[in-house]
Amino acid sequence: MIISIISAIFIGTGIIFFAGAAIGIIRFPDFYTRTHAAGKGDTLSSLLVITGFAIYQLNGFESFSENWPILLVILKLLGVSIFILFTSPTATHALMDAGWEECSKPKIKEGRPNHLGEDSDQF
Amino acid sequence: MLSKVFATIAVVITGGLLLYGVYDFPSFGDPNSPPNAGVEGGGESVSQYFITNTYKDTKVPNMVTAVLADYRGYDTMFETVVVFAAGVAIFCIMRVVGNANDPRKKEEEESVHSFTYGDHNRIIIGTTCRVIIPVIQLFGLYVIAHGHYSPGGGFQGGVLLGSSFILLALSSDLNSALKRFSEYNYFKLAAVGILIYAGFGLASQFLGENFLDYGVLQPLLFTDGPEMARSHSMLGVEIGVAFTVMAIMFSIYANLASHGTLKDGL
Repeated sequence: MIISIISAIFIGTGIIFFAGAAIGIIRFPDFYTRTHAAGKGDTLSSLLVITGFAIYQLNGFESFSENWPILLVILKLLGVSIFILFTSPTATHALMDAGWEECSKPKIKEGRPNHLGEDSDQF
Repeated sequence: MLSKVFATIAVVITGGLLLYGVYDFPSFGDPNSPPNAGVEGGGESVSQYFITNTYKDTKVPNMVTAVLADYRGYDTMFETVVVFAAGVAIFCIMRVVGNANDPRKKEEEESVHSFTYGDHNRIIIGTTCRVIIPVIQLFGLYVIAHGHYSPGGGFQGGVLLGSSFILLALSSDLNSALKRFSEYNYFKLAAVGILIYAGFGLASQFLGENFLDYGVLQPLLFTDGPEMARSHSMLGVEIGVAFTVMAIMFSIYANLASHGTLKDGL
């Protein structure tokens, strides 16, 4: 019972972050902020949801000698989450890097200080 | 322009023939179709036969793998040949060999010098890919070897292995991927994959059975019975498929990404 509640909390939090990422992709003004929403939100929410699945698997666990296949499932789920932890931010970074190469212009309010001129002369 | 018209006509005719062939199939989920109900007066249906006899015949729990690599192994062999032919076709269309007057070649040679590697910082992408490429390859081998027990097999594992090389080419550049897996090697590997498959077929033919009837390979594979011989031969066949698919995946990427010159690429 308590395991189910903990895993439900994890999965629910993950879904909230997923919703945040989806809203961010639609509502943010320019390419970089949208990618930022997708990268951050997706990574964290995938991690939370998969960790929730892994915790839920513990439900039927009573003794190691009988229920060891459950540990195998948990190990695979954790492997997936570690893979996402590494790859998702890198994919976002590669996407943003490609956008920067293609001179996608960040949206900055008139008069706000920015460092675009110092870093690159492409704008 | 004219060639495009001819290509469109050829595609339309081929597609029409394929759609015409689909008309002969029974409708989806039809309980009276031969796979579900069996032929009239011919006993049990095909699906029922596979469900009942797959484990008895082959000792492979994953029915899909058993049907794919054993019951209809001849079909799967030529599927692999189709993959190989696709790779060779892309090679023939795209590859620029030796002709100095080719405009694409001159263009590419100029662009080699304009491409500078330190132009932008790729340390994050490079490091991550260096860490995860071995993991992807290990997982690909797992998918190939575990195809008997879980979803997977030669095609899927081959795609994973090929995509690991494509990832290497994307994260650094095509040349460093070709240094590890050169054009000569990948076409050799693709042909060797089909040879492994056909070799299993020929070996069973030499031992006096039908082509690709693995059960007779029992003395060669030192197994307990013809069932285990089938199971092991399926693994060997899947390895051959994986070789071909991996090599052709990477060859198609390398040719398409560099317009056939196999230099710097994307």
